[in-house]
Order: sequence, then structure tokens, then C-alpha cells
Amino acid sequence: MKISLLLFSLLAFALPANAGITTSIEERAAKVEADTEGNNSYHAHLARMFASIAEEEKAQHDLGPAKEFMKMAEEHAAQAGGEK
Amino acid sequence: MIKRLILVASTLSLGACASHTNINIDELADARAAIAASKAAGAERCAPKLQAKAVSLLYWAAHEYTETGYHPEENTELAERAIAKANEAKAASSKNCAPPPKPKPKPAAVEIIKLSGINFPHDSAALTPASIAILDQAVDTLNRRARISVEVAAHTDSSGKDSYNLSLSDRRAASVMNYLASHGISADRLSSKGYGETQPVASNTSAEGRAENRRVELRVMN
Repeated sequence: MKISLLLFSLLAFALPANAGITTSIEERAAKVEADTEGNNSYHAHLARMFASIAEEEKAQHDLGPAKEFMKMAEEHAAQAGGEK
Repeated sequence: MIKRLILVASTLSLGACASHTNINIDELADARAAIAASKAAGAERCAPKLQAKAVSLLYWAAHEYTETGYHPEENTELAERAIAKANEAKAASSKNCAPPPKPKPKPAAVEIIKLSGINFPHDSAALTPASIAILDQAVDTLNRRARISVEVAAHTDSSGKDSYNLSLSDRRAASVMNYLASHGISADRLSSKGYGETQPVASNTSAEGRAENRRVELRVMN
């Protein structure tokens, strides 16, 4: 019973924290690129560069860092305010 | 089996929380300082691509430094590239970068006292009896508010030539001002201006709109 509860709790925390796992890094990078196309602000440049690093980390099978860089890319893309 | 499940779930939980990009490490002090200096020089606005490159290299270096499987040469190279880009960004910012435009101050809102119902005969600045009754009320208002100065502003609709409308509105504004002055309002508190058809408040395509646009109002100037 205790073990079941522990398992349930761990999974309950783990799954939301890994949300987005089904969308690939490449797809998310393409979206960041599309969302900031033509935008030459600092945040747009940074978003594209973080997305590029994320793809490179993914290529080296470093999925954790890839996801973290992609998250940063998406945050800066949002701050850039989309296409300009 | 259960132990394996616990391990998988724990790994997922912790993996999601782990950070790979802690830039506050001693090895990156110079890069952080260079980026702070370029940012202070306005690089985010004046050299955004270079500054973004510097920052992304800083974070990448931070990740590499904290990664297992330490590659000191690669890490140092990334940090040095971050510093070089930050220095480039700073230098670019000092050239050809105008200060950000200051927001234009908003013009102060002008109080307008509407004189609804003032009409003139066609092509005339003569006051009608109905208009005089309204102007008498305006005299009362100006006597009550003895500290204000007003501009008598007259407007026309868009029928006719611009120059004709401007001239006609000038004459009508002056006519109203003269009436007010002749009924006890100090000339020091009065001015007049015709705006012609330049400031419509309604569409000139309908008779109702044109009637709204033909108007006289008092603009409080202080």
C-alpha cells in the first residue's frame, strides 16, 4: 500500500514536470524560428540561439540540457513578442 | 520490479528539476562581467545579435562546466567566445547608436465649452436671435468662471472650398467673440480662431453630420 502510494506520488510529480515530452526538440525549435522570423530584437536573437543550442545538445543525446535550452528559447521568443 | 519503477519515477522527477545552466560559477566571472558591461553600454538595443550571441555562449559554457565528462579546453573556449562577443557588442554599441527616443509628452486636454445651437445664416457671420440666447448663457458662464480665458473656435462642414470655409469660420468666431466682449467679458480673456473644415466631429457625408460639424465652441486656455 505504502509503495503504491509512493509510486503514484512520484509519477504525479514526474509527468507534469516532463510535459512536452511528446513534442520533439526539432519541432519546438522550428516553432521558435517561425514565431520570431524577421524579428531582430535581442530576445528574438537569443530565442533562436538557445533553440539552436538545444538542437545541438539533442544531437549529442543530451536530452535534459536540450529541453532546458529549448524552454529558455521559448521564454525569450515570448518576450520578443513574435514576428516583426 | 517495484524498485525499478521507483527508480524510473525518481529519475523523471529529479531530471525535470535539475538545472544545467548555472552561470554563477567562478570560471565564468570574466564572461559575466563582460556581458554586464556590454549590456550597460546598451548592447541589447544597439547590438542585439552580438549581445544575444554572448549571452547564449555564456549559458552554453555554464552547461558544459556543470556537465559530467569535463572538457576544460572546450569550456574555456566557450567562455572566451562569450567574452569576445560581449566586447564586440559593447564596441558596436558605442558607435552609431542613438539614445532611445523619448516618449512625446501628451498634449494637455483642453476643456471645451460647447455652445450647442448656435447657427448662422448661409454665408454669413451674423448672429441669429436663437444664437444670441445661447451666447447670453455663455456670458453667464464666463462671469461665473471669471478666471478663465477662452478661445472662440468656429468650425464649418466640408461643403465649399477650404479657403472659403476657413475665412467664413474666422468671421463667425470673431462675431461671437465681439458679442461676448460687448456684453461685459473682458477682451483680455478672449481670442478667436476659425478652423474651417479641418476638425470635423462627424461624417460630412450626411446632412446630420454636416450640421454637427458646423459649430462654435469655447476652448478654455488656462
